[in-house]
Amino acid sequence: MKKHFKRAAAALFAGILAAGLLAGCGGGAASSSDSGSASGDGVAISVFNSKMEIQEQLEEKAAEYSEEKGVDVEVYYSSDTVAAHLATRYSSNEPYTLSMVDAKDVYALAEEHALDLSDQEWVANTTQAVSVNGKVYGFPVCVEARGIIYNADAIKKATGEDFDPESIKTTDDFKAIIDKCKAGGMESPVGVMKEDWSLAGHFLAEVYEQHEDPDAFISGVQDGSIKLIEDQKFNDMMDTFDVLRDNNYAKDAAISAEREVTEQKLAEGEIAFMFGGNWDWSVINAYDYSENMGMMPVPNNSGDGSDSKLVGGGSKYFFIDSSENTTPEQQQAAKDFLNWLANDPEGQEFVVTDCALVPPFSNNTLEVTDPLGKSVKKYADADALIGNYNYLPDDHYSVVGASMQKYLAGEIDRAGLADEVTKYWATAEVGAH
Amino acid sequence: MKRNTMSYKVQQFLMFAGVAAVLFCAVVVIPFVYGIYLTLTSWDGIAKTKPFVGLANYAEAFKDVAYWQALGRTAIYSIFAVVLINVVAFALAYLVTSGIKGQNFFRAGFFVPNLIGGIVLGYVWKFVFNRAFVAIASKIANQQVPSLLSTTSGAMFCLVLVSVWQFAGYMMLIYVAGFMSVSDALKEAAMIDGCTPAQAMWNVTIPLMRASFVQCIFLSITRCFVIYDVNLSLTKGEPFNTSVMAAMHVYNTAFTYKKYGLGQAEALILFVVCAVVGITQVYIGKKGEVAA
Repeated sequence: MKKHFKRAAAALFAGILAAGLLAGCGGGAASSSDSGSASGDGVAISVFNSKMEIQEQLEEKAAEYSEEKGVDVEVYYSSDTVAAHLATRYSSNEPYTLSMVDAKDVYALAEEHALDLSDQEWVANTTQAVSVNGKVYGFPVCVEARGIIYNADAIKKATGEDFDPESIKTTDDFKAIIDKCKAGGMESPVGVMKEDWSLAGHFLAEVYEQHEDPDAFISGVQDGSIKLIEDQKFNDMMDTFDVLRDNNYAKDAAISAEREVTEQKLAEGEIAFMFGGNWDWSVINAYDYSENMGMMPVPNNSGDGSDSKLVGGGSKYFFIDSSENTTPEQQQAAKDFLNWLANDPEGQEFVVTDCALVPPFSNNTLEVTDPLGKSVKKYADADALIGNYNYLPDDHYSVVGASMQKYLAGEIDRAGLADEVTKYWATAEVGAH
Repeated sequence: MKRNTMSYKVQQFLMFAGVAAVLFCAVVVIPFVYGIYLTLTSWDGIAKTKPFVGLANYAEAFKDVAYWQALGRTAIYSIFAVVLINVVAFALAYLVTSGIKGQNFFRAGFFVPNLIGGIVLGYVWKFVFNRAFVAIASKIANQQVPSLLSTTSGAMFCLVLVSVWQFAGYMMLIYVAGFMSVSDALKEAAMIDGCTPAQAMWNVTIPLMRASFVQCIFLSITRCFVIYDVNLSLTKGEPFNTSVMAAMHVYNTAFTYKKYGLGQAEALILFVVCAVVGITQVYIGKKGEVAA
């Protein structure tokens, strides 16, 4: 009798464990369908943020927004690769209502996963929205641009003269001001980020982007009709890169230079120039920065006007999920949220003041707060931005970045670099567009 | 109750192993089989359709130079790391069973690195290599010295060093158990017969500890072959992508470059290589095992 009881108890225990296991799975499914049906009274939308520096602001604002509009906005962040992260959400049938992604992701995802936003009010106010086959899918979050970041206070301290970024047009001008800084006691006035996305995704990409027709240029490199090493633009830009490299404060240890250290030096005026973009403000901001900083175009000797334009445009795009996992009510709520960001004074202020972003919408006329953003806004307003080339293959920054790092470290020369880049393009394909 | 009926056996199995079997199927067997299916598609990881391409991914994997370089690099790294891990672990185990003062404290101390997650550990060591060592070396040499992590061989050296630091303590525990399992009587008998302590160690203790060696070498080989976390946080593949290990290459291919099918195929090849090496080693090791 006692034996039987023990056995029954053991079986019961095992059964409970097993049931618990199944319930665990079942529970997950139930809760996700709950959020769907709950949309009748208070709609709940999920927002994926891939811009780490605004996560806190976004969370706070989402809480406020939820309270005001009765729409529950939940903000998520992941430091994972955007596409990889979204892939996991899609394969578990729990896509975000709104996802913030890069332009290339919109091109890759739009037709299958994104909602057509062509009829939205904000479309008319921006030149930066992403369209695929004539339909607008990507809502631009902000404008970002690349160029040389300068610390005017540091330059003045070294040279004794006010720094006028407009006066630096050619590589030789650039070299002259660096030499002046050196003469004034600044040992090595430049910082170079060794990150592959900066070297290949941003600097080398300018070689493509500054060509009249980047597509034609790249396909020329691919089929061999353009020899990279003989290309004027490539050489002009690499000449400037040489100046940066040779005056790098971490010249002997360029590959182990840390981004934070470089930006701190720039912020505090130990160095005066760095190639970067206005997103770098989120790092510089953390240090005791000088007041007079800004961005200027990358000087070069080609004389084609690229020396007076920054390179950039819309950066980070929201798209709305179009799958059956997202209800029409949720989609509407997401559209409302985007409209609020673009058109509502409160939303506009959130973008510009709270997040310190440069707005991509012409009806948002608020004053940009940070110095780098101000420069970008100035060039954007003057229509002096060379557009981003958003169709580089996903492995471009990594593979070509390694080649650029070798060049930076002096392991290969310019011919070697051109050779490696050409080899890369021989098998690579640009993204569909 | 009859104990030889089918239903009784099934019942008994479910009672004892049911939960584990369900879990094992759910998190290992099913994903593995599904993964094999994915290697036959050109899925990008997110699209709704998974176009069937047959064995094209395997053909491409065999042509992927960067992958084979990464695999070769992983093999070299594993050889160095496995040898060092086991030598260090054995030495530590000998030390903490030799009866020195505070040996329990040392046992715990050497084991601690293993409790720190690989990511955290990588960042900690990155700081040590990039800042601390550089500062000390620069002071001594009186000029700016580049970090070890910025050279190809230096980065590999750092990876080996950190792996040894991380795993040696864990393997030490297994060796400690091995040492304890060898009866003192046997060692004493050998000494009485005229062995020096070194001879007793070599001819009596080590052969009897063979099981520990087989286990430790198996564990360290399989762990080293699939290293990812330390690789990611310590070197991230830099400099010049020359410290990208096989697992990192697989991850990049599948998720960053969005070639899920290809990445999965490469992962499967890595699995096969790993399994072949591991099983061969266990087979050879087991063959000569001596029962005490």
